[in-house]
Amino acid sequence: MVDIALWTAVFFTLGIYSILYRENPWYRIAESCYLGTAVGYAVGQDLKYIRDQWGGQWSSTSGMILLFAIVSLIGILWYARFNKEIFYLYRWPLAIVVGTGIGMALRTVIFSQFLDQIISQANTPFFVAGDMVTSINNILIQIMVPSVLLYFWFTGEIRESAPMKVVEKIARYTMMAGFGSAYGYTVLTRYSLFIGRAQFLLGIPPNAPEARTAFILIAFIMLATMIGYDLFMKKETPEEI
Amino acid sequence: MSLLERISNLDRRWIYLLAWVFVLFPLLNPLGLPIPISSDAEKWYAYVENEINDGDVVLFTPMYGVSGMPELFPMTVATMKHLLTKDVKIIVVSFWTEGPLVFNTLLTQVNPEDFGYVYGEDWIRLGYIPGSETAMGSLARGIQNTVAADYVEGRPLNSFPVMEGIETGEDIDIIVSFETGTPGTPEWMRQFNAPYGTPQITGCIGVSVSGMIPYVQSGQLQALMPGLTVSAEYEILLERPGLAVAGVDAVSTSHVYIVLLVILGNIAYFLTREER
Repeated sequence: MVDIALWTAVFFTLGIYSILYRENPWYRIAESCYLGTAVGYAVGQDLKYIRDQWGGQWSSTSGMILLFAIVSLIGILWYARFNKEIFYLYRWPLAIVVGTGIGMALRTVIFSQFLDQIISQANTPFFVAGDMVTSINNILIQIMVPSVLLYFWFTGEIRESAPMKVVEKIARYTMMAGFGSAYGYTVLTRYSLFIGRAQFLLGIPPNAPEARTAFILIAFIMLATMIGYDLFMKKETPEEI
Repeated sequence: MSLLERISNLDRRWIYLLAWVFVLFPLLNPLGLPIPISSDAEKWYAYVENEINDGDVVLFTPMYGVSGMPELFPMTVATMKHLLTKDVKIIVVSFWTEGPLVFNTLLTQVNPEDFGYVYGEDWIRLGYIPGSETAMGSLARGIQNTVAADYVEGRPLNSFPVMEGIETGEDIDIIVSFETGTPGTPEWMRQFNAPYGTPQITGCIGVSVSGMIPYVQSGQLQALMPGLTVSAEYEILLERPGLAVAGVDAVSTSHVYIVLLVILGNIAYFLTREER
């Protein structure tokens, strides 16, 4: 029996990858369906949460019901952005969400992303007995981190001094190394995503082996239609001499 | 047109086609390249094995959607299997919409009952909580106020034995997070680690690694699993080879391909620079 879900998954995977050839209707179909499904799923999950909250505690007393009504009303104001006349109302929920979010984050950001990092930097020993690699690594950290911080110090005459030129150079190399590392890991991620889909298309366990048949068939149809269309159009409109 | 100029002006579709070849070939014909175990995998394994004790409350959080599954799903499955070999309480929650969907897929490969885990007594699913970092903070202050009902049966959390005595972030012993972005580790740090000192281990996609390393060096993160290759090493340590091990040959060949392209591109650029 044909596994419709599996064939659909193969179709949409190849539809998305068909953009590598060029913009085409297969890609458009896959892209639109993916976005629609993702948004629909997100809305469904949100509504499930609200329903559970209502049943769990918000419907318990009249005070809670009133609060739930107010919160729901504020939530509905998000949709005011789709109407020019009442657009301004959309700023209220936005302000609440942004204000709450920033307030929640600022409460502890000073510890988790500022003080703890400075303490860690200060506690890094220059030399670790018997471990040459870690020692070199630590020395580099102690030189590179302050250099990069100083690189973004833009004011004062000291900025133009000779020692600062050396610091700037160290900082530039440090940042280049950082960007290189980030690029390398980005390539790893992109390929990992591709490899995961390739494992699915090839039916490598625990993926269903039937996917391989669907892969070959659907890939052939997509390529044939795209290349066939291109050849047809080329024939219809011969190149100017 | 010289060969170098042709290389410089090569249609990008040939590059994509070769990328498919470099990935598909080792998947169809495994090369069996050696997989050395890195310190990242060893640290992760040692932490789960030795530092998570019987009776600990583990907050297990798949913080990614289906687009992050190829890289993160193998490590999520492997870590879940590892945790299930221990006698811990597992609370599964996600602040990413598709988190529950990812965990549904995980359950098709790992059945907690096979490890003697009973739903509601040893583990529970809280599902997806909307609200990003604000919701995380709310969960830390009061789990049962933030989540009215469990994800599977829709019953109040206090009706499940597993939730007995688990009220706030203070009652969580360890966070095990797998993530592709925001909300993720920085938000966990701000809402759980800083106020409650909750330890955490994080599995992340390669793109995020550079941003995670400072948390490891400062000791805020106890272990980090960066990407698919370390995931494969962890599967080997667990003696449960899975999808990550199956894909690691393709990772190697695809990176060789990228390095070759970089070298070729640079040679072509420098040799034709004067002509430009």
